[in-house]
Amino acid sequence: MEHRSLRFYLRIYGRILAQDLKSKMSYRADFIISTIGMLFTNIAGFISFWILFGSFPSIGGWRYEEILFLYGFSLVSLTPVQCLFDNNWNLRSSVYSGDFIKYCFRPINLFFYYQSEVFDIKGLGQLAFGIGTLCYAWGKLGIAVTVLSVLRTIIFLCTASLIMVALQNAAAATCFWIQNSFYVLDFVTRFKDYARYPVTIFSPVFRFLFTFVMPIAFIAYYPSLVILRPDEVPLLSWLSPLFGIVFFYLSYRFWMFGAMRYSGTGS
Amino acid sequence: MTPIIEIKHITKEFRVLNRREGLRGSLQDLFSRNYKIVRAVDDISMEIGQGEIVGYLGPNGAGKSTTIKMMTGVLEPTSGEILVAGSVPYRSRTKNAGQIGVVFGQRSQLWWALPLIESFRLLKDIYCIPDAAYQEMLDFYRSLMDIEPLLHKPVRQMSLGQRTLSDILAAFLHDPKIVFLDEPTIGLDVAMKARIRTLIHALNREKHTTVILTTHDMGDVDALCRRIVIIDKGRMLYDNDITHLRGFFGAYRTLKVRMDGDLAAQAAVIRKELPDCSVTADEEWISVLVNEEQARVLDVLALLQKTHDIRDMQLQEISTEEVIKKIYEEGVQ
Repeated sequence: MEHRSLRFYLRIYGRILAQDLKSKMSYRADFIISTIGMLFTNIAGFISFWILFGSFPSIGGWRYEEILFLYGFSLVSLTPVQCLFDNNWNLRSSVYSGDFIKYCFRPINLFFYYQSEVFDIKGLGQLAFGIGTLCYAWGKLGIAVTVLSVLRTIIFLCTASLIMVALQNAAAATCFWIQNSFYVLDFVTRFKDYARYPVTIFSPVFRFLFTFVMPIAFIAYYPSLVILRPDEVPLLSWLSPLFGIVFFYLSYRFWMFGAMRYSGTGS
Repeated sequence: MTPIIEIKHITKEFRVLNRREGLRGSLQDLFSRNYKIVRAVDDISMEIGQGEIVGYLGPNGAGKSTTIKMMTGVLEPTSGEILVAGSVPYRSRTKNAGQIGVVFGQRSQLWWALPLIESFRLLKDIYCIPDAAYQEMLDFYRSLMDIEPLLHKPVRQMSLGQRTLSDILAAFLHDPKIVFLDEPTIGLDVAMKARIRTLIHALNREKHTTVILTTHDMGDVDALCRRIVIIDKGRMLYDNDITHLRGFFGAYRTLKVRMDGDLAAQAAVIRKELPDCSVTADEEWISVLVNEEQARVLDVLALLQKTHDIRDMQLQEISTEEVIKKIYEEGVQ
């Protein structure tokens, strides 16, 4: 297979993105309503979080501000999966209807081409909200702002994003084999809600599950330990960037393997 | 001239699960997997030259799509060899994709929300089309038809006909060596069908693009294809000139006559008079199928006129459609 440069792909992505935004803005009412809807979803999420944790000073040895930090951290790290990989949600129906075949005829990477088609702008509201929460918690916790701490935060945010994207890719790709893959994808997506809590508050069984089976603990918990509790960072936290990359790569291979196996419905 | 597509004895088999009936059967299927092998394409060979328009025909489920998918590199043949522009499509899928264009009549490959011109610009980047070639192609399109109304309209808002036109233009944009058209005129009105045929014809003539056309519309075949390939149940039935195909059955013409009285009874009389022809009667007409190698139609008519009072007559050429139908039903002997 012929490999094209990263620059080539970035340029194409930029083009598609710009066009997509332009066409979305042309539906002004739709754009405004979905932005407002997005805002309310986040506010509602935050309020329920606030009511829950506002009533307890700490949970399982975690302070309210620390949990808030985790919450913000998970919101930010979930942005890429929401913005850039949202087309995974349509994969099942396009495979089922046979439309998926149209992606197979372009001389560019199939995975890239498929995912590039949709950019979900609603994720940006979540990003802003997440960054706000993160900064607030950061200030309240009095963590020093150094180059190192900021750099660590960025690296571990990327790690968390990669893991979430990997989980979703793998879940979506199951549709190449099974009919009702919606439940798999939905299941995985629901689990990410647990990602915003420190795993230590769960029972050992779930702690094990969330670390090794469905690695959502890597979405916020293990990475943010590096910033929150630099004195007691487990090895798993330091390894998580590596895990993120490996998971992402594996999920990409799995997705592509399914796509290559795909032969389309008759026409 | 070396062929652009070379296919040697390709076969494609699929493993299909033998499904059992009922809930019990479904549960059994979960545990014991009972597969059978279905041969969708069975030992097909052909060579297609640069610049040809080939009509690829066959009834539904004949294996047409499977063959096309193998030529485009989406499927790997179970056995046999395919070379498209000198390379194996399945192994160099990306390279192959750069040299071909594909249009599905019912599935647009364009970006749904974007105006056509933006889709073109994206395709220009994706296929790395040089500026000059891109401009030249657009100018060429402008010389063929009025594309301005299409260019600035989002694909989503287009009529089916406009969308098909756009898809065809997009498929030819990177000046591919081969374009696969899968039922390009399905669901379109007569005027739009004619426009699309003219467009395909012009693109083929000017750019010397090889076109593989699958269709069920014999109008497309008559207007565009000189060569046709017919397959059924995965096997090749026919691969030759369309004129040659007519020659198979074309010696036959149908003479229809109308007369007073009981047509069925008169048909029986005519049957005796013309033992070489097949005679049928419906409510209005008596049809006499004449083999022109044995008797001239005019002689038959003269003969009939002597003994019968003919009110009206019609002469029917056998159409490509009927020929194809005959081949689907009986095969080529």
